[in-house]
Amino acid sequence: MIPIEFFLLLGGILFIIGAYGALTKSNAILVLMCIELMLNAANINFVAFGAFNGDVMGQAFVVMTISVAAAEVAVGIAILLNAYKVRKTTELDDKQLQTMRW
Amino acid sequence: MFIEYTWLVPLLPMLCFIIIGFLGRKTPEKGGYIAIAGAAGSFLMAVLISYEYLTGDAYPDPVSSSIQWFIIPGNEDYVLNLGYYVDGLTCVMMLFSSAISTLIFIYSIGYMGDQGPRKTRYYAEVSLFLTGMLGLIVSSNFLEMFIFWEVMGLCSYLLIGFWSFRHPEGDDASVNAASAAKKAFLVTRMGDVCLMAGLFILLGEFHSLDYTTLFDPDNIAAVNSDNLTLAMLLVFGGVIGKSAQFPLHDWLPDAMAGPTTVSSLIHAATMVKAGVYLVARGWPLFIQNPDVMLFVGIIGGITAFLAATMALNNMNIKKVLAYSTISQLGYMILGLGAGGYLVALGIQMGGEEGAVLMAAGTAGFFAGCFHMVNHAFFKALLFMCSGSVIHACHTEDMRLMGGLHKHMKITSTAMLLGSLSIAGFPLFSGFWSKDLVLEIAMDAGNDGTVWFTVLWVLAVVTAFMTAFYMFRMWFMTFMGSEGHNAQHCHGESPKSMTVPLMILAVFAVGSGFLALFGLDGILSFDPITYLVGGGHTEGFEYFSELFTNPYTWLTIVLALGGIGIAYVMYGKKSEDVESKTFALAGKFNKNGNAWLYKALTKRWWFPDLYNQISWKLGYGVAKGVNYVDRQVIDGTVNALSSSVVGGGDVLSKVQTGHVQSYSSVVLLGISVLSVLLLIIAMVMGGI
Amino acid sequence: MEFSILALLLIIPLIGAIATLCCGGERQKAAKYVAGAFSGVTLALALYIMFLCDFGDLDMTISWIETEVLTINFALHVDGLSILMVFLTALLSLLVIVFSAAEKDRPQYFHALVLAMEVGLMGVYLASDYFLFYVMWELTLIPMYFMISWYGGPRRHYAAIKFFIYTHVASLVMLIGIFAMGFEALSMTGTMDFSFAFINTVMPFADESFQILVFALLFFGFMVKMPSVPFHTWLPDAHVEAPTGGSVLLAGVMLKMGSYGIIRVCLEALPEGAEYWQWVIIAIGLLSMVYGAYACIAQSDLKKMVAFSSISHMGMVMLGIGCLSEAGVMFAIFQMFAHGLITGVLFMVAGMAGHNFGTREIPLLGGMAGKVPIYATFMMIGWMASLGLPGLVGFWGEFPLVFAFYDFIQSEGMLWLIVFCLLNLMLTAGYYLWSMQRVLFGVETTKIDMAHVHDVSKTEGIAMAVLVGLIALFGVWPALALDYIGDYTSLLMGVF
Repeated sequence: MIPIEFFLLLGGILFIIGAYGALTKSNAILVLMCIELMLNAANINFVAFGAFNGDVMGQAFVVMTISVAAAEVAVGIAILLNAYKVRKTTELDDKQLQTMRW
Repeated sequence: MFIEYTWLVPLLPMLCFIIIGFLGRKTPEKGGYIAIAGAAGSFLMAVLISYEYLTGDAYPDPVSSSIQWFIIPGNEDYVLNLGYYVDGLTCVMMLFSSAISTLIFIYSIGYMGDQGPRKTRYYAEVSLFLTGMLGLIVSSNFLEMFIFWEVMGLCSYLLIGFWSFRHPEGDDASVNAASAAKKAFLVTRMGDVCLMAGLFILLGEFHSLDYTTLFDPDNIAAVNSDNLTLAMLLVFGGVIGKSAQFPLHDWLPDAMAGPTTVSSLIHAATMVKAGVYLVARGWPLFIQNPDVMLFVGIIGGITAFLAATMALNNMNIKKVLAYSTISQLGYMILGLGAGGYLVALGIQMGGEEGAVLMAAGTAGFFAGCFHMVNHAFFKALLFMCSGSVIHACHTEDMRLMGGLHKHMKITSTAMLLGSLSIAGFPLFSGFWSKDLVLEIAMDAGNDGTVWFTVLWVLAVVTAFMTAFYMFRMWFMTFMGSEGHNAQHCHGESPKSMTVPLMILAVFAVGSGFLALFGLDGILSFDPITYLVGGGHTEGFEYFSELFTNPYTWLTIVLALGGIGIAYVMYGKKSEDVESKTFALAGKFNKNGNAWLYKALTKRWWFPDLYNQISWKLGYGVAKGVNYVDRQVIDGTVNALSSSVVGGGDVLSKVQTGHVQSYSSVVLLGISVLSVLLLIIAMVMGGI
Repeated sequence: MEFSILALLLIIPLIGAIATLCCGGERQKAAKYVAGAFSGVTLALALYIMFLCDFGDLDMTISWIETEVLTINFALHVDGLSILMVFLTALLSLLVIVFSAAEKDRPQYFHALVLAMEVGLMGVYLASDYFLFYVMWELTLIPMYFMISWYGGPRRHYAAIKFFIYTHVASLVMLIGIFAMGFEALSMTGTMDFSFAFINTVMPFADESFQILVFALLFFGFMVKMPSVPFHTWLPDAHVEAPTGGSVLLAGVMLKMGSYGIIRVCLEALPEGAEYWQWVIIAIGLLSMVYGAYACIAQSDLKKMVAFSSISHMGMVMLGIGCLSEAGVMFAIFQMFAHGLITGVLFMVAGMAGHNFGTREIPLLGGMAGKVPIYATFMMIGWMASLGLPGLVGFWGEFPLVFAFYDFIQSEGMLWLIVFCLLNLMLTAGYYLWSMQRVLFGVETTKIDMAHVHDVSKTEGIAMAVLVGLIALFGVWPALALDYIGDYTSLLMGVF
């Protein structure tokens, strides 16, 4: 049996990659994708712990997460599309888009 | 049966005030007749009350009755009452105040006739003024008296400022009626504040302000004499303000800005007499310490002298009279002070010798009060005469008058009689009382302290100056060549003005002889029981004593000399206004450039002193306070609030709105927290 | 739970406020009549209670929040101290509505705000529970805030916010004090009842050090409201910007909340604290008095001058309280009442200068007496009453009060302090007479447009005449009010 540390390591690496991307990338699509990566890292952990403990709750939560993530991506992409229509760009540090702060 | 209704005496003018205030506009003469009726009613009541009291069984014990007004709680409650108090002094004061006021109101019908709708205000205010004086006289305690005292202050303020719209130039009190009114109120207020402090001490010591309690010899003996001395000095502060004594005398000449009838009312019947009345009323308390009385006498003497000097070269007919009032008030205060000094010495000494001193001193009480009565008559007369002249000539400047005798015979004769009286011409009323005052001062000098001898000298010099400036005024007005305004004179004033003049002239000449008909008995003071009235009549002895006293002849000679010099300097015809100004005196005063002459025109720099004090201590400090308030105190508040707002502004910059930086911070925080947790777990030994 | 007539004093104006709010649009003209009717009924009720009721029968308590340890009630109570304030509140609210009858700008809101103020003020003066007291205390802030920021002058937003925050911070400090008293009572007796009756009987037995600390907290809260130097600067700004009606309520009854609180809470509950801080109270009183009077002299805005005169007069109240003697507190309360009546006239007069002449700047005015005689008469009476002319009500808040102070300092051997009182009397006369001279007398000014100047209107005249009548009535016969106060102060002095 593959020891659980391997799964956790994979999840950790995926999460760090995702977090790095989400914090540093200036393209909104990349940020969204990185967020998906982090979510999936969490999913791997769920599944791993579930299998390890013999508990199906882990898999049930993963299904839930995937569906929520799908909805989230749908909303996120919709916002991005609208922003793209106005500004012809999806860069996050666009001056015009920044006026939405404060 | 009438005494029970003594409260009606001040109430009648009060009702007139209310009626005129609300309905005066619709009545004939705009309320003038109502005011006259009120004053006459008060006079009638005063006559009835005086008759009943003086012939009644109670005399000379005072008749007093009061109801409880309210209580100031304390270890022992301080009870304050509302009531009336009738004794000899009350009767005399009531009678002459209401009588003279009635005459003045009648005179006003003519004098104020051209004032139109403003007459309503005038008659309402003079009625209230009379209420103040009569209320003050019949009050049964010091607090009630103080209330009416202040009401008079208010009325004098309103009436002095009656013509405020006429004198627009600047803030100087001598030209601006509103400013003069303010000055009168504030300067007298200074005295009132002292008086109030004095009343605090009296109330604290006696637990009451009722005359019946305060004038009880046993009660007086029981209180702390130091406190009593302080209290009486403070009370005398009130007198200094109200009766225009040195150094608070300067408001009275400026108060001439009001209508002449008002001046007459203030000087003869009300207001300034209130101060003298207060000294006479408070005599039982004043005579407890000779030093207090010495102070009173010194103030009186200095005032008499100082005011007389300022009258010497004044060109305004009303201001000369104003200074003469201050000077005569000084005489009254001097008389009361000198007499009180002797009584106080007598009380301290005790025994046979003391009794002699006390007997001599009580004459001072009579002298002061007697002079007050006589002065009321002749000063009312003089002011009303000057009003008559002003009414005819439309100026107050004597240089523009002259030669008026042939135009206004009645006024001129009446004024001559008044001037003779005030100058102390033998057998006229002023002569008797003034020489009594001088004699008392002399006595106090002989038996007491040399101070009173000095004051006697001042008073005798004042008598000479009085004769001089009064006749200077009369000659400048009625004799000599006609000035500019005299040529356009309207002639004699209407009947409503001349009839009161004639009535008053009779009194001004003859009121001195009242002393022969029992006035001195009514105004006597008993140094044992502290009651006023009931003494036996010594009028004839007083008078005969005067003529055996060589000093009396000295003053007579001086008075005649003063009249003579005035005739030489001002009685002759002169060609033009310029020479009238400096007639003959030019040699002495270097055409108005002499130091003394300037000092007199500048009124010994008293107005400047007042101005300096009020501007520096009042407005100057106020500016500073306002600056501190806006800049320092409010500045701190604003700085505090702007530092909060500014701090928030700075901190809000941290909120960049950059989601990525937010989440970096969150991630960092989580990492730090997890590391911390790990360390804690390791230290606790969990792993 | 029993119901008493006192609750109606809160309910009627509350219903009135809502009813007035409904008079929008076409019915705007009816607003003043609706508001007037409701506040008139309230005044009638207050008079009924004042003259015809036995105060002891009127207490009411409705349980509000009750747990095993904590008791908070909706409790109302009236006694000799509060009845005068209730009367003043009811009277001034009605007069403000009458005075402002000509208000054109959204009258329904204005009159509703006045009634809402009335609810809050009535609540403060009637409350017999610290929580209710605090809630009502804060409630008064809100209508006043809106009154200033909607109907005020050019700097109204600044003034309104300054007023709100300044006094709100102070009342938070006060709230800490109230909590402290509650918890101290809990530790002393095991129950935490916030009723006046409970706290005010328990607290006098608390530690001296506790009393001293809590007294300071509560006193600060009340002092800002009064207001006393140096925490007074919100007042001139608020007054200058507030509409006339708002100023009348603000100075006439809202400032009294401060002194009312000091007597009701600080003196009743914390007598040892009061004795410890006595000289501080006196010092603040003297400072406010003289400082306020001096500041008046320098003001050029009529309303600002009157505002500073309020500070000076409330300093006198503080001085009376500082004596901690029966006479001192008694006449301090009388001075509160007298000042409430007088200051109504003062602010109406000062405010009218703004409406009727177009400016309140004293240097721009002059010789107005000839043009507006009725205005001049009211100004003169108001000014004279405020400077303590005997025969008018102001004198009885002044002479006996300073005497009580004299009595106190004489026993302490500090007689020279009386000089400040006397100086204050002089200065008061000075600034009133000087301002009157510059506004009313002299030649008619050319600096303002005389054609548009108009005299007192009928409703304004009625409002001021009522106050002047009361000033004269209580001036001649002060015992009318002193009887109520005396009943209260003789009880209060039991704790000292």
